[in-house]
Amino acid sequence: MGKFSYNQEALKNLNIQDTKILDRLVDSESARQAHLKKDHSQRDKRVSLKEAIAEYVKDGDICTDAGFAYVRTSHQSYFEIMRQGKKDLQFIGSPNTNHTYMINNGHCKYSHNSYVGAEMRGTDRNYSRQLKEGRVTILSEWSHGSMAQGFKAAQLGLPGVFSKQLLGSDIVRHNPYVKVMQNPARDDHDPCVFIPALFPDVTIIHAQAADRCGNARIYGPIVNDAALAAAARKVIITAEEIVPESELRYNNKGVVIPFMYVDAVVELPFGAVPGNMPGHYYWSRQWWEKFLRLGTKNEDTMRDFLNEWVYGCKDQFEFVEKLGGAKWIASSKRLTRTAEYDNEDEGYDFSYTPFTPEKDPGIYY
Amino acid sequence: MTAMKPANPLEMVAFVLSQQIKDHQIIYVGTGLPMVAAILARKTHAPNITLVYESGGQNPIEGDMPWSVGDPFTWRKSPIIQEMSYSFAQAGNGYVDIGFLGFAQIDMYGNINTHMIGDSFLKPKSRLTGSGGNNDLSSLTENMVLVGIQNPDKFVKKVDFITSVGHLTGEDSRKKAGLLGNGPIAVVTNAGVYDFHPQSKRMRVKSLHLGVSFDLAQMATGFELLRPDDEDVPVTPSPTPEVLEVLRKKVDPHGVFTSIPGM
Repeated sequence: MGKFSYNQEALKNLNIQDTKILDRLVDSESARQAHLKKDHSQRDKRVSLKEAIAEYVKDGDICTDAGFAYVRTSHQSYFEIMRQGKKDLQFIGSPNTNHTYMINNGHCKYSHNSYVGAEMRGTDRNYSRQLKEGRVTILSEWSHGSMAQGFKAAQLGLPGVFSKQLLGSDIVRHNPYVKVMQNPARDDHDPCVFIPALFPDVTIIHAQAADRCGNARIYGPIVNDAALAAAARKVIITAEEIVPESELRYNNKGVVIPFMYVDAVVELPFGAVPGNMPGHYYWSRQWWEKFLRLGTKNEDTMRDFLNEWVYGCKDQFEFVEKLGGAKWIASSKRLTRTAEYDNEDEGYDFSYTPFTPEKDPGIYY
Repeated sequence: MTAMKPANPLEMVAFVLSQQIKDHQIIYVGTGLPMVAAILARKTHAPNITLVYESGGQNPIEGDMPWSVGDPFTWRKSPIIQEMSYSFAQAGNGYVDIGFLGFAQIDMYGNINTHMIGDSFLKPKSRLTGSGGNNDLSSLTENMVLVGIQNPDKFVKKVDFITSVGHLTGEDSRKKAGLLGNGPIAVVTNAGVYDFHPQSKRMRVKSLHLGVSFDLAQMATGFELLRPDDEDVPVTPSPTPEVLEVLRKKVDPHGVFTSIPGM
């Protein structure tokens, strides 16, 4: 008998025979040991992105999709994971939008999903196809909030939380980790869902600024990242800029990740491209439309798209060049600064020519 | 002055949704028509509402239409942005009055599916987005309004996957399952507005949009609709020219969410 108790109905519905693959996500002791074994000293942790991914992302790891789908998300780090040919990763995230493009070539093999896709850009046909063809296995199904509670429980150092979400739904029948239980604090009928604390192996969080030890400042939505940094066994912080420690001491607004969680610090300007980086750059809306409306269409379009934008780009700078270089930088900075109302918006126009399969404007800003 | 074109079906839905909002409420919104509706409500009958977004953005100052629920426009100069777990907890703790959700399928009890189409979860005909915040809001929010296109593929006897519980199997089954709030109070579609029978919790016609008969609405539905108490089915009030002008000029001036090509 294993150490962990799983929801048997979900195991059956998901056709999971060997539960060992599920264990690490809820193994609080091993996460605690991993945290204890880290060098806890305040030291310079700066490395290159290549070094950070090579050292801290191992085949089979449980990785997170951080930020919010395509807001302050570590897209360029994911692309480096792909270029380094990492294999058999599990991905967990709310949302879990980005792991779809890591499935086709076997970088990612397992999903812990609360959401796949990208809102009104359209459903993710690639994910649907990979699932049907058995190239990705769903290990657990969640809602945004219930998964967020699992990460938050880990950050709080708790075994888990009793939640009022998921009750009565088919999600509880497709999640081996959660169980419907009577509220132990009440005598009347009060069903709850017990959600265990969740401990991913590695999280890569892109921040606006970090110091060389890993204290990191986030501007805009934090989403789950403060919790993920506390929970994950290994933490890579990439940042638009590396600032002196004194800057974070004297202006500590938005500093939500303390250095001790962090294993590696990477100076990575444009690390969230082609996503939105608050304060720095807006989405390439056309890139996402092109990805979802054309790239995901079939295996050939996916291969071509990934060859062009991921395997065919050495780093984020080449990617930015493809988007339009300095013009893209200026335009996307203006867009996000205007949306945030740090630039004048009077007379400024957010309309753009969307990408459609019939008409590729060929412009990414 | 030329007469104003009447509301197109999307504008009609946005208007009807806005009518569900009362002044001073806290509204949990997603992108698309619910956001249009909330902003329309604020610019017409409900100037003191507060908008809450899934990104954690709260009460942004006025700006352009967000491209996504994570868009800076959803937290534009927000005094506070909540982490995801706290953002949904607002609904659980009673700090959200009403929420809006979309669906791929809905049944007669307002249970909704945004997960998959087909009879096999592992090999679906089509895999959809999954829950996102859909289940969280349905489970926790005091009042939910569901919005979508009405046809027999979407209004089905049995949803292929219960992503979010509405009234589960009717009567008091939602409460017995342990969920909070009243569940769905209205369903708004291109054909009409529906509520749920107070006892059976089955979907019931509340009003139908101009030109839609009960038989037509029933034909667009894969389960038996209940008739309203009135003998004649009420016609959903259409927006006045003044409200339409606000919608077209001030809420969605580029027609991102409310324009239909050729109309």
